[in-house]
Amino acid sequence: MIPVSVSLMRSILLPAFVIASLLVSPALLRAQETVYQAPAGQAPPVAPPLKKGSPLDHLANDPRIAQPVPGYKEGRTQGDAPWYAHRLIDEVGGQGWGWVKPSGESWNSAKWIALQESPGLAVAPHRHLVKADGDENWEYKFWGKFASYKAYDPRLDEQLPVFVLQGYEVIGQAAPLKIKVGPPDRPEHRPSGASSREGKPILSDPGVD
Amino acid sequence: MRSLFALLVLAILGTLTASADPREDIVLTGGCALRFMEHGKGEVSHDVYWFNFVDASTIRLGELKAQAKPDELVTWLIYRPAYAARSQEMGMDLLAQLQQKANTLGVRLVYFNNQAELIAYLNRGLDRDKIKIGDFDYFGHSNKACFLFDYSNTIDTMSIAWLHVKDLGKIHADIFAQDATCKSWGCHSGEMYSKWWKDHFDVPMTGAIGKTDFAHGGLPQLSNADGKWAE
Repeated sequence: MIPVSVSLMRSILLPAFVIASLLVSPALLRAQETVYQAPAGQAPPVAPPLKKGSPLDHLANDPRIAQPVPGYKEGRTQGDAPWYAHRLIDEVGGQGWGWVKPSGESWNSAKWIALQESPGLAVAPHRHLVKADGDENWEYKFWGKFASYKAYDPRLDEQLPVFVLQGYEVIGQAAPLKIKVGPPDRPEHRPSGASSREGKPILSDPGVD
Repeated sequence: MRSLFALLVLAILGTLTASADPREDIVLTGGCALRFMEHGKGEVSHDVYWFNFVDASTIRLGELKAQAKPDELVTWLIYRPAYAARSQEMGMDLLAQLQQKANTLGVRLVYFNNQAELIAYLNRGLDRDKIKIGDFDYFGHSNKACFLFDYSNTIDTMSIAWLHVKDLGKIHADIFAQDATCKSWGCHSGEMYSKWWKDHFDVPMTGAIGKTDFAHGGLPQLSNADGKWAE
């Protein structure tokens, strides 16, 4: 009786196992492919190849231009009234993007912001430029919103409001604004207490790799 | 003489009881940057390798696990959003890999999504009247004033999740055992963070004077010849 049961079990389970293996193995192979293997003999591992068509792929491989093109649009540029934005490089090394103000208001009401990009929808305009400061004193219409959280700039030990960019249109070059650079609580004279290299532009580099 | 002897016995018993209290060892791991944010920055490009902080953390977790007493918990706190975002960028499930590493090490994996969740865990994740923190290690980005759990992951070169020295007051001052050992393996912590830590918790925290380097694998090393560890 027992040998018959074993034989019966075998006759059922063996084909079932073979069929299951055929069904499962492609999924397993795909799972193995997703585990990145660093090139042998190299440490530490390097970043994996770029995914074709990804925001990083576009960033790395799309051609770049010297200056923005007035009228160029990117992302969601319909709907709510746009914000107005003025780009400035912070000369004391802060990573703020520039100022943003509501449509129809004066630049005195503008906020010095951290720009949160939306890769795949709208990225900072300077990403398309040869140099990151190639759009200094250029102005834009921005679509997006202020985030509920703030950004911490480790170089200056200060916090900035975050504007989440969803779309923009290039207006053109503008005259420099004569308003205070940085958040309202930035002292007129650095250095910050967080500095590890007081008196130098990069006050506290958080770099660790 | 008899009362003195009784006091001595009580003191010894108290010490034995205290040392028998369960403890928790915590390794806190910050997040990695996105390559989108760091691409093209040359030598200062951060987190080319996505598990730089994770690998160092697992080494320390292994050490803690090996030396842990039977009633000692080892907990791995990880800032989740950064690894979720990097997973999406790379097309790999890094969160599953983190869980697998925690399982292999036999440690408790606890994710946090923001500063409030981290502080809530430190204060109330376990009954801190009974279970004090015996060991604390931080692996992640930092400057002298701040632990940066998010860095260049949401906003280029900035952070949206951090623990500043001014935030330490939100953490209960009595969560650590009196003989707790604490260390930040991030950059610059020994220049300011360690002092604020000692002032608030009354336990020392070793931190780096200067930068630390995670790029060589293993536990991080001081980057510069004139760097040192300090409390």
